[in-house]
Amino acid sequence: MILPYSTNSFNMYNSHDSAATDNRSEVLTWLSPLEPHLRHNEVPTTRVKDVGDWLLRTEEFRSWKNGDGQGESQKATMFCPGNLGVGKTYIR
Amino acid sequence: MFFLKIYDYSSLVIDTLCDEPAGEDNVVACFYFDSAAQKEQSAMSVLGALLKQVVSSLEKIPKEVTDAFRRHKKFIGGRELQLSEIVKMLGSLSSTQPTFLCLDALDEYAEPDRAKVLLSLRDIIKISPTIRVFLTGRPYVGDEVEKHFIEGTALLSISPPNDDIIRYIQTKLAEGTGLGEMDIKLEAEIVKKIPETSSEM
Repeated sequence: MILPYSTNSFNMYNSHDSAATDNRSEVLTWLSPLEPHLRHNEVPTTRVKDVGDWLLRTEEFRSWKNGDGQGESQKATMFCPGNLGVGKTYIR
Repeated sequence: MFFLKIYDYSSLVIDTLCDEPAGEDNVVACFYFDSAAQKEQSAMSVLGALLKQVVSSLEKIPKEVTDAFRRHKKFIGGRELQLSEIVKMLGSLSSTQPTFLCLDALDEYAEPDRAKVLLSLRDIIKISPTIRVFLTGRPYVGDEVEKHFIEGTALLSISPPNDDIIRYIQTKLAEGTGLGEMDIKLEAEIVKKIPETSSEM
């Protein structure tokens, strides 16, 4: 699998005519002034190819993503607890 | 020296969901919590930011959103959306295509807003049971997550296998990040020692 490290995965502002664009960005800013997709685009620079792929291959992740778990395992929410740092060193 | 962060996993999951060949219609909205930015991350602006991403992925802004915008604009200085309105919109807009909401580092987000966000997510799932919510955080937040998602939460601990750690270190060593000249023997020693140490953490 090829991982995009710096591609813009969020195709956010692709309106066509300019009047609609004005209105569109006005409405979007009104919804929230925050721009979390920008943070997302910054984050991948610390990522390393193939690291973390084990998570994507787990049965838990696949059945959560595809929503095809049976009965009890059919869950809308997935929580991944971890002690890896956000801004903290994991390997010392 | 080396950093392997939980948000690397969140970002990997988000990119994977966006790039799925079979999931061209996937709508993916994300939020990275940051304790340093708590003030500007009210529950309302967090949920609003998720809604904004869902809306902007649609070709046309849905009528219910533009109607609400016009309604609120009538107030002097404009008025913000209420949390309950955001929840309702997120729920109804997410029922028409596969939608994923990914929130990273819940522990970086303090109460009472954290509970507000979790409760809102629960309400959104009630409206749109096909929506998928992906959360990361330090383990102690788990109880709270379980408490709020009464229909159950899939748990998957992030504990990278040693292969991952070794691959990470080797890549970083090859890049020469922050280490300068590295003796091959020393590299081998580091690669051998570090996973042993990390498993004791």
